[in-house]
Amino acid sequence: MITYCARFFAIFILLVQPAFAGKVNGTLSSRLDFYPDHSKGTASEGRSAEVKIDAFHDFDESRIVGELIFRWDEKDSGRRITEARQAYFRSPFAGFDVFVGNRQEFWGKAESKNVVDVINQSDAAANEGKSGKLGAPSISAERYLDIGDLQLWYISNFREKTFNDSDAHPSSGVPISSAQYARKDGKDADDFAVRFSSFAGDWDLAGSVFYGTARDPILSVNSNGSALTPHYALQKSIGFEAQYTGDVTLLKWESLHGTQSSLIGAHDFAATVAGIEYTFYGPFERIWDIGLIGEIQHDDRPQAAANQFGVAGVRIVFNDIADSNILFLASVDRKIDQSFVSLEASRRINDVTSIKLTTQFYNARTATSTFGQLSDDDAFTLTLNMFF
Amino acid sequence: MKFATITMFVTLACAIITTITFASPEKGLEIAIEADSRDKGFGDSTAQITMILMDKYGQSTERAIRNRTFEGDNEGDKSLVIFDSPGDVRGTAFLSHTKKSDSDDQWLYLPALKRVKRIASSNKAGPFMGSEFSYEDIASQEVEKYTYNFLRDEELNGLDCFVVEYDPVDPKSGYKRQIVWMDKSEYRVHKIDFYDRKDALLKTLTYEDYKQYLDKFWRSNRLVMINHQTGKKTELLFADWKFRTGMTERDFEKSALKRTR
Repeated sequence: MITYCARFFAIFILLVQPAFAGKVNGTLSSRLDFYPDHSKGTASEGRSAEVKIDAFHDFDESRIVGELIFRWDEKDSGRRITEARQAYFRSPFAGFDVFVGNRQEFWGKAESKNVVDVINQSDAAANEGKSGKLGAPSISAERYLDIGDLQLWYISNFREKTFNDSDAHPSSGVPISSAQYARKDGKDADDFAVRFSSFAGDWDLAGSVFYGTARDPILSVNSNGSALTPHYALQKSIGFEAQYTGDVTLLKWESLHGTQSSLIGAHDFAATVAGIEYTFYGPFERIWDIGLIGEIQHDDRPQAAANQFGVAGVRIVFNDIADSNILFLASVDRKIDQSFVSLEASRRINDVTSIKLTTQFYNARTATSTFGQLSDDDAFTLTLNMFF
Repeated sequence: MKFATITMFVTLACAIITTITFASPEKGLEIAIEADSRDKGFGDSTAQITMILMDKYGQSTERAIRNRTFEGDNEGDKSLVIFDSPGDVRGTAFLSHTKKSDSDDQWLYLPALKRVKRIASSNKAGPFMGSEFSYEDIASQEVEKYTYNFLRDEELNGLDCFVVEYDPVDPKSGYKRQIVWMDKSEYRVHKIDFYDRKDALLKTLTYEDYKQYLDKFWRSNRLVMINHQTGKKTELLFADWKFRTGMTERDFEKSALKRTR
């Protein structure tokens, strides 16, 4: 199947490329997942493949950009997707860069969690970390001023978070039912956001405002316990971001403050991530770099797995020809009830192929806690990427 | 035999006296300032770069990079490096605002995340893309980043050259000193010997295939860096130089990283 996909994909790129003046690229990723602690009825392994096509075309000062994702999964229908993560037209207008269409955007400074990153919905079922996002159907405008950059966003449609099948991983083991919305227009309700970012000397700063549907739903068990219902709240929030960049030390802050109101209640909330990253460049007379990461997460929203997590991590960059690197992160909540450990290691095999190994382990003392429900979702994942 | 010994002694004494007489920080600085002034006014430039990395066994691998530079007025130059291959780093971009007397400001654009990330610039001694070039080797060379000492005149490849010692001001530099050969007629650098912090010869960089652009600005189209301690070698082949392309300072701000293709 994967060989067939690779052939089809290579032919497709060759056919499409001339129309885009040579600016079409593709990535074919094949992935194997192993779940050592799978319980009865859930998958012990998974096989999937993803094709990503990036294309752009310039004419005068305008540009069309496309980033299309086709993901096939052998068993998990939640991971199968055909997605225009980016499909937009960009053109200058009245001193602004105006974008119309699906866009992917990143806001934030921290490493372990980005609470201010509110534009895109998460493609959570992809289990691809921060890059797993769904395109935001939007009209946005950016203006680059001497004092900083201004972004204005109008998001016309809401994208629901993706979930894995109940017998796939990670999953609570209970099916997800239809979503409920606090806003009467449901998925058609409009979202608005504004962000201003700037830097001065060693400081990068940003502030943002969001009015719209919260990206992360509150999950409630239905009356007979047979399904989970995602409740999407109305969110009004302001966000702050700061990073101090020292010689070897980075200090990071991001926080989101506001209110969420859904059909199951309303509450004020605050979510904060504060952290430090200290890097040893070339220690022990080797050319590698070793970065130490420490972050504190506070999140009093009901969607959070726990009110407070402490995160410690190590990033090793080997600075070799193969760009080998390792990232280890461990999170534990304040009550030392739940913990999560992940390890990512990747390297290039040759100019067109790279390989990545990811492991993730959930631990919980309380079976009913968020991580307790993910107790059979420990995973080893091997991903082979081929670039065209 | 006695005469030969005396001759050798006199020659050695003359060499020492000559070195003492002509080793001059003032002249070294004058040469560096003149070299810098001769490259003033290029405005902006772009070039395609092929990077060839070779291990000590002769096995090689290639990278494709695009470079854009914007000449600074009061501060240092701004440069943008875009990676086209290998595939896993395609679209990654590195932006540097060089400072004459302070740490540079640097950002990295990660295309998978669409994230612009400010990075610490103290990694100047670290290898750039796994090559034998460090970040400080590829950074814009500003006069204020070194102190100088003119050592001697010497012929190199048939060209009359100044030989000048460059001592990095920044203690985070990976080098204790650099010995630079620069021709007297055009002030072009032809060779640099890099000495590590223990003052052992670490690398030698040679500049080849110089071409003049806009009747003023000389650019080498082949740079070869040899690491004497590891036996590894990296070549940079430049092509398609363009000057005064109409880029503005706005094209070198961090917001431009997201628009780069």
